[in-house]
Amino acid sequence: MKLHPVEVLGREEHGRHVLLRYRWTGEAPRPGQFVMARPQNHAGLDPFLPRPLFAHDHEGETVSLLFEVRGRGTALLAGEDAGLLVSAPLGRGFGTEGSGPVALIGGGVWVSPLKLLSRRLKGSGVGHDVYLEVPEGAPEAYAEFLRTRYESAALIETGGASDPPRAVLDRVGELSGYATLYVSGTAETLQAAKHAAEGVVSAQLALRERMACANGSCYGCAVPVWEAGEKTYRRACVEGPVFRAEALAW
Amino acid sequence: MVARSENLVGPQALAVELCSIPLRTPLIPAAGTLGKEVLDGAEDVYGAMLPKTVTPRPRAGNPPPRLAEAPSGMINSIGLQNPGLDRFLEDLDAFYTVGLPLFVSVAGDTVGEFASMCETLASETRVSAIELNLSCPNVEHGGGTFCASPSTVGDAVAASKGALAGAKPVFVKLTNDGVVGNAVAAEEAGADAVTVINTIPALVVDAGERRVFLRGGLSGPAIKPVALRAVYEVSRAVNIPVIGCGGVASGTDVAEFMLAGATAVQVGAGGFVREPGAMLAEFAEYLRGAGLRAGDLAGALGT
Repeated sequence: MKLHPVEVLGREEHGRHVLLRYRWTGEAPRPGQFVMARPQNHAGLDPFLPRPLFAHDHEGETVSLLFEVRGRGTALLAGEDAGLLVSAPLGRGFGTEGSGPVALIGGGVWVSPLKLLSRRLKGSGVGHDVYLEVPEGAPEAYAEFLRTRYESAALIETGGASDPPRAVLDRVGELSGYATLYVSGTAETLQAAKHAAEGVVSAQLALRERMACANGSCYGCAVPVWEAGEKTYRRACVEGPVFRAEALAW
Repeated sequence: MVARSENLVGPQALAVELCSIPLRTPLIPAAGTLGKEVLDGAEDVYGAMLPKTVTPRPRAGNPPPRLAEAPSGMINSIGLQNPGLDRFLEDLDAFYTVGLPLFVSVAGDTVGEFASMCETLASETRVSAIELNLSCPNVEHGGGTFCASPSTVGDAVAASKGALAGAKPVFVKLTNDGVVGNAVAAEEAGADAVTVINTIPALVVDAGERRVFLRGGLSGPAIKPVALRAVYEVSRAVNIPVIGCGGVASGTDVAEFMLAGATAVQVGAGGFVREPGAMLAEFAEYLRGAGLRAGDLAGALGT
């Protein structure tokens, strides 16, 4: 895997989330694509694997990544002066061929790829509504970040809700009013969106999977799909990470 | 001195020969770690191609999760997902057209399946050698792997050699458990080389959920010292070439494996985090500094 040293332009903390901006003059990321990232100044091979992170935004020569610090790998990435190695944009992102209006739905705290998607849809004049969950326990700093980062988004606080994904989808309302649902979020959110969309509206789901090679070689990021009536596995790194909801064998 | 030095920086310094097959470099991708999507430039790095292990019939592979990270390594449980031998051969040109010798890794549930795959491959002119993946479950012997004993290793190798009837060399990929005895058994059954070692059985426990998260094989730099020792001991116990494998992530690692007795070296998980081309450049630099050719390393280890 070719990882490029890049200049880190900014590192902001928003609650437990970090927004990492870096200079990138290579191939532009498409919405729903991801990069493999690892800290440059962390010598040695432990943690071993780079982390797959969705391209959160891209404007001019700046790409940004948004991630929650959850373990040692992400903590090292978030560290001051860590430096950054990133791959070129990878994978198959959202298909944006159709017309609007469309709905962008973010569940849990996994809303990262929807910013770039929103920017691109705006650029091509596709009407879209953005719905983002603010889950129970999310720091106020994170909610405030969402308010400023996704200006016109509807924020849905699900603290106390017995079924948070349902609460988010209820807020979206009549799904058939949209041409497509674009969904990023927890496994529960993706499952709920897939089932709610069945027979009603097309949906594209951005999956977060563990990855090793990130180039199709190792088959580690297997996703169960239906093909010709049979269940088989596709690789999130090259055949995803965005999948049509009806293809997923969940 | 000048002439010698010029020779040593040229490509011939990297060349080795494996079972009479000339390799431009000693690097070979470990089976299942270099897919057809990423073969651009492979001819400048590797000495041979080795696609993902193939089985007689298609296999869907294991349900996720298939991966976990370990200190300086990773654990995988892919389950040999592959399209089966017929479809594999239809797609083989992607690897063949790289222009390097092409090795094929095979796995079966029974000795008969190994033999039948070798029979099919015997007349396959694109293929230079067969690697038997003996880390798969042996259905006829209660599901333990073919590496469970020297006798099951010997049975699989003898049947494969018989089916190939001398058409191509057979490499035998072994796990670390019992590796010396298994390597000797492989040699006695007619193996032309042994690949040492496959991933090491490992377990990941999720303490929070109080469950097994993953049962699979450990690879990466975490297993390098184990693999090096296996190569060292096996190369002293057999008279056939040893292909080193296990945690190679730098040019120095390549040199260490060859000094320990390997004729060629497979790069697996290390290639996910570092470019194998960079490892080769480091290895060339090592040779230049040492005033040696790759082929000189075996036997260059002092006591």
